[in-house]
Amino acid sequence: MPQITYIEFNGTPHRLDVEPGLTLMHGARDNNIPGIAADCGGACVCGTCHVYIDEAWRERIGGRTAIESATIEFSNEVAPHSRLACQITITDALDGLVVRLPESQ
Amino acid sequence: MNAVNKPAPHWDPYDQQYFANPYPAWSRLREEAPLYYNEQYDFYAVSRYEDVERGLFDRDTFISGKGGILEMIKQNVPIPPGVFIFEDPPLHTMHRSLLTRVFTPKKMNALEPQIRAFCAKALDPLVAGGRFNFIDNLGSEMPLRVIGMLLGIPEEDLKSVQHRVNENLRTEPGKASDYSEHSFVGEGYEDYLDWRMKNPSDDLMTELLNAEFVDETGTNRKLTRDEILIFINILAGAGNETTNRLIGWTGKVLAEHPDQRRQIYENRALIPQAIEELLRFEPPGPSVGRYVAKDTEFHGQKVPAGSAILFLVGAANRDERKFTNGEAFDIHRARVPHLTFGYGFHACLGNALARIEGRIALDEILNRFPEWHCDLDNAYLSSTSTVRGWETLPAYTPKAGKAPVSIGAAIAKDNAPSGEKWKLLLKTPMGPQEMIMTLTRDGASFSGRIESPMGSEAVNGGKIEGEKLSWVMEVTKPAKLKVTFDVTQSGETMTGTAKLGMFGKAALTGKRV
Repeated sequence: MPQITYIEFNGTPHRLDVEPGLTLMHGARDNNIPGIAADCGGACVCGTCHVYIDEAWRERIGGRTAIESATIEFSNEVAPHSRLACQITITDALDGLVVRLPESQ
Repeated sequence: MNAVNKPAPHWDPYDQQYFANPYPAWSRLREEAPLYYNEQYDFYAVSRYEDVERGLFDRDTFISGKGGILEMIKQNVPIPPGVFIFEDPPLHTMHRSLLTRVFTPKKMNALEPQIRAFCAKALDPLVAGGRFNFIDNLGSEMPLRVIGMLLGIPEEDLKSVQHRVNENLRTEPGKASDYSEHSFVGEGYEDYLDWRMKNPSDDLMTELLNAEFVDETGTNRKLTRDEILIFINILAGAGNETTNRLIGWTGKVLAEHPDQRRQIYENRALIPQAIEELLRFEPPGPSVGRYVAKDTEFHGQKVPAGSAILFLVGAANRDERKFTNGEAFDIHRARVPHLTFGYGFHACLGNALARIEGRIALDEILNRFPEWHCDLDNAYLSSTSTVRGWETLPAYTPKAGKAPVSIGAAIAKDNAPSGEKWKLLLKTPMGPQEMIMTLTRDGASFSGRIESPMGSEAVNGGKIEGEKLSWVMEVTKPAKLKVTFDVTQSGETMTGTAKLGMFGKAALTGKRV
């Protein structure tokens, strides 16, 4: 199973095995990682599963979808490498992915 | 069979016995009938958090395209494109993403100074007297002004907009609504829109006029005039009625929990969590309807395609499986998301606005009235197919005491008007029927009641044009029926017709008594 690392704003890392097919958001939410709210449950309407993609992964993860670009305006402190975790589906190719969580959702 | 002879759990959205406190009935549904079927109105309802969450997220099984209100789904009302709250993909996705940019928390939080100013204007004149009304003075004022400002509607026209919205959105308590003549198009807004086209500003109307998107045919285009009018109509309605209810519940619930109110008064940092708890405890929109597009199951029982189903947000918000001691109001509870703003793809777009309005309203009330009691004898609670909350809620400080007479409550209670009295004879297919109508004229409109062997019913939409009078009456016996009257008055008599729903027209004569 692909291993994903979520790093909290205060630096605490969480290394998890996330089943391929789930989203990056579900991986965090199902394991109660603090710092991912995901209020709408993955409909891409709330902007509360905001993550920063670690530098090494930005190219492979790619840019935002059209609807994501609209919704991410709900998020705080958006950066060019900001993504909504509900829009990233875990595959084996993402084994080792590192994402950082914002100060607040 | 149960050893105890207890009737099966029951709830229906039109039965007034549930209005004031639906929670005991919902609690029984959660525990004894997690998939509830109401035979009388032919709908299903689920009440557990897990089920409501699942249903609201599964937009392929539970579609929005036939409406989100029980009667609307049952009546199979055609819904024009642009009514995004009642759309499915791909239309919904396109329309929603256009509006998403407008309602971001950042933009809504920037409205704080204006929202505070609206509250101050509404409340300041009342401080000295120590009496105020959560609805009449604040709930029906501030959210309206905020949405008007966002839309760019001139302040002097806001009240007529509100009136329109009320007529369109507010259904009558205890009654199913008739959506057969329901208008979604924002008819009152054409003039503003045309004016805005020529005079762009920085408001929402201008933003909608300029927004470009790729439509279902792959064409890059702007919104049509009709689409914008529909958007505005929905936003004006949503921005008015729901936050109004939140402000009413804030007044009622905090008056019943003075200890927690005192804590909030002393530590305003508690306001956001207090508003979240109010939203959970008394959701302004306690149920959400969907049409079942394919066979599905809850708790091993089948729900067939073609059914109407209600997701009882108000019940799910108190589900003990999710909220410890869920029936208690506690601003200090751990943050577990409530479902008041819905869940999934149709989750409330205006939640950031509602939250900021609710928080500021509470803060500004506490600044002026640290303590209050609600005058429940003169308050009036209404529960319709869309919202549940206070129509009027007078309050007073301990020092000021109760107001001697309340005017608001008398109006809201729809007292039978005095004035003219008419004896009407209707020739129905079941034989002649006599009715007594009392009516009170008010310019080009009138209100009144009709007493007949079928019961006492309010006259709705009474209109006067010269000698022509028209009105509507909804009867529930012997069948649920909308009766539309068109008569011509000549002195002390009237003649005309009454359209008896699908049963055709009946001749009518009337004599003044």
